[in-house]
Amino acid sequence: MKSKGEIWHLLRKDFLLEFRTGYAISGIFLYLFGTVYIVSRAFQQIKPESWNALFWIIILFASVNAVTKSFVQESNQRQLYFYSIANPIAIIISKIIYNILLLLALSFLTWGALSFMTIDPILKPDVFSLTLLLGSIGFSINFTFISAIAVKANNNATLMAILSFPLVIPVLLLLVKLTAISIGLVAQDITNDILLLLGIDLLLLAMTLILYPFLWRD
Amino acid sequence: MKKTTLCLLALQFLMFPILNAQSAQPDFMRSIGKIYVVVAVIVAVFLGLVLFLIYLDKRLTKLENQINQHD
Amino acid sequence: MVKHWWKALGVLLVIYTLTVGMLIPLRPGITAVSPSSVRTGEQITIQVAGYNSNFKKAQDSIRAWLKLDNERAIAAQSISVKDDQSVSLIFDIPEYLPVDQRVQDMTLVIDNDADGASLLPSAVFVTQDSIDPEMGQQVWKNADISNLNDKKGITFPFRNILGETIRNTYFHVSLWLAMVSIFIISFANSINYLRDPLPIYDYKAKAYTRSGLLLGILGLLTGAIWAKNTWGQYWSWDVKQNMTAVSLLIYMAYFILRSSLTDSEQKARIAAVYNIFAFVALIPLIYVIPRLTDSLHPGAGGNITFGSQDLDNTMRMVFYPAIIGWFLISVWISKLQYRMDIIHARIWNLDDED
Repeated sequence: MKSKGEIWHLLRKDFLLEFRTGYAISGIFLYLFGTVYIVSRAFQQIKPESWNALFWIIILFASVNAVTKSFVQESNQRQLYFYSIANPIAIIISKIIYNILLLLALSFLTWGALSFMTIDPILKPDVFSLTLLLGSIGFSINFTFISAIAVKANNNATLMAILSFPLVIPVLLLLVKLTAISIGLVAQDITNDILLLLGIDLLLLAMTLILYPFLWRD
Repeated sequence: MKKTTLCLLALQFLMFPILNAQSAQPDFMRSIGKIYVVVAVIVAVFLGLVLFLIYLDKRLTKLENQINQHD
Repeated sequence: MVKHWWKALGVLLVIYTLTVGMLIPLRPGITAVSPSSVRTGEQITIQVAGYNSNFKKAQDSIRAWLKLDNERAIAAQSISVKDDQSVSLIFDIPEYLPVDQRVQDMTLVIDNDADGASLLPSAVFVTQDSIDPEMGQQVWKNADISNLNDKKGITFPFRNILGETIRNTYFHVSLWLAMVSIFIISFANSINYLRDPLPIYDYKAKAYTRSGLLLGILGLLTGAIWAKNTWGQYWSWDVKQNMTAVSLLIYMAYFILRSSLTDSEQKARIAAVYNIFAFVALIPLIYVIPRLTDSLHPGAGGNITFGSQDLDNTMRMVFYPAIIGWFLISVWISKLQYRMDIIHARIWNLDDED
């Protein structure tokens, strides 16, 4: 299949670009460790409830920063070039996959760093890992699409936050709840929440694939 | 712009006696089966519609000015 | 004039809502009892405060019970009426109750032929000195609650915390449903714009979004007034309140997005894309919020979601017209806005021709 090859090439291009410059990713990770450090110094004793809230706040801001650059980093001429040789669906899918991998790495690193510096309240690592996976997918689809919108406007860093935060609320609320379950704050069956999260991810993906071609033609 | 600000300011001063009466008599809103809560809700909806009318009015004035300039 | 019928209908429906919604009285009910906590083995006198009740008028037909559950109740020994709104009841609370709890709540039921039956759930809490369900079974003198009267005439239901504010269903809850319908129209116009990029669809989407925002702001404001005076706090973690808050954020962002784009064709297209994406992304919240209330906000249980048990047929007769009325008024307001946009576009096009 042609588009599969396109996605693969675009994905490889993103990784190559990243490894060659490396400053975007190292910036994100520096931000991450800086925040975790401040948080662990500011809170002498951290309760599992606060851990839950802090974790997701750190992730939320780190992801927005990480994803915003996915369209910004490319100059208009280069974008024009990609658009002339590749199919829009392939472009957006490759960006989404790249961002999922990036956010997944980001989430697990935050988990590790925050546990190392404060406490590790997670009692069910399997549930939490699944939560992080589904969360990364949801965040990545949402933020990638919004960054494609925001890049059309000039002041896109602020616009990115304004446009995307209300839209991730459903995902974020479910993630916080699932984290509370994996911390053991509430005992509940997770099947329905996981299915709901999966449903939201699929819904967002479908909307992105339908709507992206309209954004792309400029 | 100044007129609306003035109106809002006036409204605020007019509201003071009512608010003071409420704080002096804390059960005012809860008297007679809390009927004044319903009154407050209806007043809020009406005020919202009026404020929107003012906004529309301003937009229309702008349009009229544009048409006048055009002629 | 003929094509403006729906505007007249909207105004008439709102007037109908205001008059009928305010004029129909509440069904008689019980607002308070004192004392509300008693001990076993005592003869107690309970002062009952009624609302909209006619105790004096129906003095001879008053009957009262303290209900333990659907089968078991004790009848009042004697009833003395002070005036239409207050009556005192004397009950003999037995030495033991046929339950194995220390504290048992009982529902007060009062019936007379003018007001019909009214009840106050968990009106009286009975504290047992010692627990013995067996003994309780033996000393229990059961009274049958039967032949209850019905209130004649059209009334709205009486709910104890709500009181008259049950009427806010027509002036607040209906705004929420009207808002959702207005946002659906805006959504449909954005889809139309992407299928066929005519500026009129963009004007419509923008105008309907702005009216929806107006309804949302009013809904939040009135909801806060209502919640403060009934539940004691401005925010009550209700599904509708949360949906409205998030949609306000989203649609305010919609206008910020519009203002940050300059090219009008690009502005219309990107705004349409965002509108569609945002609307669809908002839908899951309906499923998400109810799942959270139990786990993350303990104490939020029993909030004000208007289920079927809260809307009786009389209320429906006002509630549905109220929704349609507010909706039609909002459509009218939106129409005024996009007609202005059309004129605006025409002026600028004329300028271009010069």
